[in-house]
Amino acid sequence: MWNLLLKALGETLYMVGASLVLSALFGIPLGLVLVITEPRHIKPAPVIHKILSTIINIGRSLPFIILLVAIIPFTRLVVGTSIGTAGAIVPLTVSAITFVARVVESALLEIDRGVIEAAQAIGATTGQIITKVLIPEAVPGLILGLTMVAVNLIGYSAMAGAVGGGGLGDLSIRYGYQRFRGDVMLLTVVVLVAIVQGLQSFGSWLAARLNRR
Amino acid sequence: MPQVMIELANVTKIYGQGEKRVVALDNVSLQINKGEIFGIIGLSGAGKSTLIRCINKLEVPQSGTITIAGQEITKLKGKELRKTRRKIGMIFQHFNLLSSRTVYGNIAFPLEIAGVKRSEIKERVLSLIDLVGLSDKISAYPAELSGGQKQRVGIARALANNPEVLLCDEATSALDPETTKSILGLLQDVNQRFNLTIVLITHQMNVIKDICDTVAVIEDGRIVEQGPVVDLFARPRTPTARRFMKSVLPTEIPAEIKERALIMDDQNCAGKTVRISFIGDVAGEPVISSLIRKFQVDVNIIYANLDYIKNTPFGSLIIDLMGESQKIEAAMEFLEDQGLKLEVLNSVEPTA
Ligand SMILES: Nc1ncnc2c1ncn2[C@@H]1O[C@H](COP(=O)(O)OP(=O)(O)OP(=O)(O)O)[C@@H](O)[C@H]1O
Ligand SMILES: [Mg+2]
Repeated sequence: MWNLLLKALGETLYMVGASLVLSALFGIPLGLVLVITEPRHIKPAPVIHKILSTIINIGRSLPFIILLVAIIPFTRLVVGTSIGTAGAIVPLTVSAITFVARVVESALLEIDRGVIEAAQAIGATTGQIITKVLIPEAVPGLILGLTMVAVNLIGYSAMAGAVGGGGLGDLSIRYGYQRFRGDVMLLTVVVLVAIVQGLQSFGSWLAARLNRR
Repeated sequence: MPQVMIELANVTKIYGQGEKRVVALDNVSLQINKGEIFGIIGLSGAGKSTLIRCINKLEVPQSGTITIAGQEITKLKGKELRKTRRKIGMIFQHFNLLSSRTVYGNIAFPLEIAGVKRSEIKERVLSLIDLVGLSDKISAYPAELSGGQKQRVGIARALANNPEVLLCDEATSALDPETTKSILGLLQDVNQRFNLTIVLITHQMNVIKDICDTVAVIEDGRIVEQGPVVDLFARPRTPTARRFMKSVLPTEIPAEIKERALIMDDQNCAGKTVRISFIGDVAGEPVISSLIRKFQVDVNIIYANLDYIKNTPFGSLIIDLMGESQKIEAAMEFLEDQGLKLEVLNSVEPTA
């Protein structure tokens, strides 16, 4: 049983970790572009802004379980399979990208407009404003937001187990539910709760530590 | 001839359209000389911020031109605009410091933006921190500073790239009177030290009075009055200017003095209570003693106050003049010849 648990834990951490990193990689730039193209921001572009916002809204409105199934052809195209941990990472990443984009948006909109204006008055380029003002000023908000994304991904990764992704969710369903192993069920629940608690505490602590406001 | 540093010609800025249309600047023309402290005063919503933000093109006017040191900033874009902005420092009412950077990091920021070498940045930042008197706060974050200290960081940051112009958008409005004084002192100091042209906008007349050389009064997007600060105090032409002046001048005479009756000891004498207002150097001259010597009148000083407009003294004096009617008349003529403004508050004729 412990072996099963350890293996499942490893799979969960792998799925969540990989999709968190990948979704951040795509979602952060997406969120940045979304914000700076807003009217009265540093690079207003109403059309681009509207298009991105619409795409993100569509992504955010699809329930994960539907997205999971709907993008199976795309998943196959990317990783060659739609099952297993690799097959789960694709839908997890896709669903988290739009979430990350919104998280980035809300973190960046927290920044006082005056600070951005001061940088413009100093003669900073758009690139300099992004790297030296927007991102550093938003770090605590970004950490809290990404923590939220990670906690969500843990939940979704359990659903991804449904398509044979493995992980703790898969373990609790196959053993705990279908084979009536109450002990496995309990243990996976305890482990999941512990991970989420640990992650949230760490994220909150780090954000508070880095917050200079 | 003083050299013109900033020139606005027929600048008009309109926000919004249709029903929401607001004419924030209405055909504004101004000349600001190199090395002067130019104040723009107006009530809330008059268009002060819009005006100052047009100078570094944070706002783009619909028409008109703005020229800084011979360069038409209204025409500049992209790289050229950014390069010119480095020569225009700006400080803000709410400081607008980077909360994630220390005092050092905030002052280094414009230098990093301009691509200055790391070793040079350090030297420059340390000398600026020294200039604004924050050497003991070098690694503090803005959240750990008082308002006055934050504005000092703002000033150091604005001066980092050796600008020719410093724009101040209500730089002292968020500060208490004591801190306001010290920040104004610092601004005056950098103005003299670097022959820096300072444009400041404010709704506080004492800011204008304490450090400005020239003032423009803005009302509903129009400049309604403009000239040397001393002239504005001596001869305000618009009601708005008069209102602002009243806020810093004790032009109201205390009621006790107004209602006071002139009681003459000698019934052969006439008496007059006169208010004398003066501005400029006359304050240093022994007018009163000449008065007594030359005209043989008795002088009784009732009330006096003295203040300074930047470095020019101004004030008012209320005196009783007692003596023969003709001598009093002659004395008053003499005072007017000295460039003083007289106003008779009370008058008693001889009863005998
Ligand atoms: N971005 C904007 N969009 C629409 N209207 C604006 C904008 N900025 C300013 N205005 C309007 O333009 C006018 C002038 O505003 P401005 O901020 O220049 O005034 P101000 O003199 O600086 O006032 P305050 O002392 O309150 O700061 C006001 O009527 C204001 O409502
Ligand atoms: Mg304003």
